[in-house]
Amino acid sequence: MRLFRAAPFDVRQLDVWFLAGMTIVAIATFAAVEPGWLDGNTLQSIITQNGPLAIVSAAMTFSIISRHIDLSPGSMLALSGVVIGLVYQHTHSLALGLLAGLGLCLVTSAISGLLVTRLGLSAIIITLATYIWARGLAVGLSGGKPIVIDTALSSVTNHTVAGFTVVTPIVLVVYLGGWLALTRTRLGRYTHAMGGDPAVARRAGIRTGIYTVAIFSLMGMATWLSSVLVVGQLQSAQPYASPTLELDSIIAVIIGGSRLAGGEGGIGRTLLGVAFLSVLTNGLLSLGLSDSAYQLYEGSALLAILSSQILIRRRADRIVRRRLESERSQIGGAYV
Amino acid sequence: MTDASTASPARVMSEPSLVGRLRTFGSSYGTVVVAVTLFIVFGLTSSTFLEVENLRNILIQITVIGVVAIGETVVMLMGALDLSVGANLLFGSAIAANLAASHHSLILALPVAVLACAGIGALNGVLTAVIGVEPILATLGTFLVAGGLANIALHESFIIVNNRFFTDLAETHVFLGLPVMVAVMLALYALFSLFMKGTPFGRSIYAIGGNPRAARLVGLPTTRIRIWAFTLAGVCAGIAGLLQIGQLGIVSSTDATGFEFQAITAALVGGLSVTAGGIGRIERTLLGTVIVGMITNYQTIAGVSPNFQQAVLGAILLVAVVLDRVLRDQP
Repeated sequence: MRLFRAAPFDVRQLDVWFLAGMTIVAIATFAAVEPGWLDGNTLQSIITQNGPLAIVSAAMTFSIISRHIDLSPGSMLALSGVVIGLVYQHTHSLALGLLAGLGLCLVTSAISGLLVTRLGLSAIIITLATYIWARGLAVGLSGGKPIVIDTALSSVTNHTVAGFTVVTPIVLVVYLGGWLALTRTRLGRYTHAMGGDPAVARRAGIRTGIYTVAIFSLMGMATWLSSVLVVGQLQSAQPYASPTLELDSIIAVIIGGSRLAGGEGGIGRTLLGVAFLSVLTNGLLSLGLSDSAYQLYEGSALLAILSSQILIRRRADRIVRRRLESERSQIGGAYV
Repeated sequence: MTDASTASPARVMSEPSLVGRLRTFGSSYGTVVVAVTLFIVFGLTSSTFLEVENLRNILIQITVIGVVAIGETVVMLMGALDLSVGANLLFGSAIAANLAASHHSLILALPVAVLACAGIGALNGVLTAVIGVEPILATLGTFLVAGGLANIALHESFIIVNNRFFTDLAETHVFLGLPVMVAVMLALYALFSLFMKGTPFGRSIYAIGGNPRAARLVGLPTTRIRIWAFTLAGVCAGIAGLLQIGQLGIVSSTDATGFEFQAITAALVGGLSVTAGGIGRIERTLLGTVIVGMITNYQTIAGVSPNFQQAVLGAILLVAVVLDRVLRDQP
């Protein structure tokens, strides 16, 4: 690690610079094509609209680094909202509703974590089942119709200061906390260790079971927080809310440069991935395209970026390996 | 089981325990037992379920998903996932409907539709095998691309198809009063089952699913095999798209929503191991499709609200996966 700190440019950060460049290119392109797009409120509305994506992606970073991809957040967000709405309707207590939603998210994610760690099942399959049943339950319980929740919550989430809603500080706190947790705590170190090699992590004495459940619970908490924001923003619980949240957040994490194979990644990279994805979707929407053109452009852009990122990373890996080998041969093999 | 018996010589001769026997039996015949049990329970509790007309309906209802699930199984046996099959199916049926409506020529429409789907499949293969994008992300991208192309072919609306060929698929009976499309599905299952068991290509897909690195080291052309496997999944989606036109007579943009997840569910209920890859059989997926089809049909007969049916489907998937793991090996 220390080898490259003095180097003028770390080649392993090349993909980050590439993505940052592409984000700027995307902003410039949309601003040129649609002159009204880049006015004062674009930044504020992008952050407000993509708050849930940002929060869930932060938790997804932990999931992906530890090799436990979670497909449940989109459906669980909808179900949590519906449960909040139903409890509020019957008890007229918002606090009880929020608690019920939190309990649901935490219990579901903890059970998923337990199934993964106790039975050795693949996280992707367990959460795929959640993806299906939670959405079904959300639609079933609500009868497929939105539930109106008009409370003080909405005046909190929709209150703006200079155009920024409460989403902005929440996202900042989540990312700061996520960064601290991932780089400065035992949980973060073990997350990397378990993703790098689960068997080695276990043999090294890490209690992988507890930490796996903790990582799943993080996602449960992120999902609940996002559902509270969405319920507040829309003043209602929507059973069909956020249909592709899990897939979008996986894309954001991977585009940012964490590896789906696990063991490597960072929360700052995820924030950049979220920024790129948000700019792309917001910009494409502002062009007023038809659904088909929108899908086509979004899909092609994502495939192009994903492919370029992988090619860049492979090239960077090769350069690093070659540099290491040449240094090793100079010193005589005792190094590294 | 082997560990325990070799460790203590006294127990070598003793009979395998009841649990051990149950496990062996469960891992080989569990799915069959579940299917038969469900059939008997549903038959005893509902008078409509066992009517010949209803059983025939179940087979017709599962045909499209059944054919999609063949391709999905091939990809999953290789240790990958294909999320694009639903959108790809829609893409195929949109092209076929578009060409059939504008040119009245099926000789053009059918091969072009299947080839277009094969093209999307091949794109998946190239992205994953050559460039190295993770399958779940690559197929998510092509899911968007194929969906967008399908909507363009549909002119953002729907196309009604009243061509004789397609209506015949659903109406002409071949045997036992079953229409052509069911026969096509069964034939495809037979074909792919033999193909996966009996050809070097089929065995190499199992090899890649079992251990990708070993497969490459023994000299298998893994890149080419991966591309072909995804292409086959595309072909299956294309054929399923044609069958769906026959079944519905109309192509609209919401037709194939969630098909990829239904196909994955069918394969998993059929006992496919996704944790490992390389374990499972094509014909088991047919059984999985039948089980899911029976449960959906029974829920409709029993008057379960369609809104709740998806929740039940998800719960079934969860139970199937957990049971499969508990039965297959020691936890």
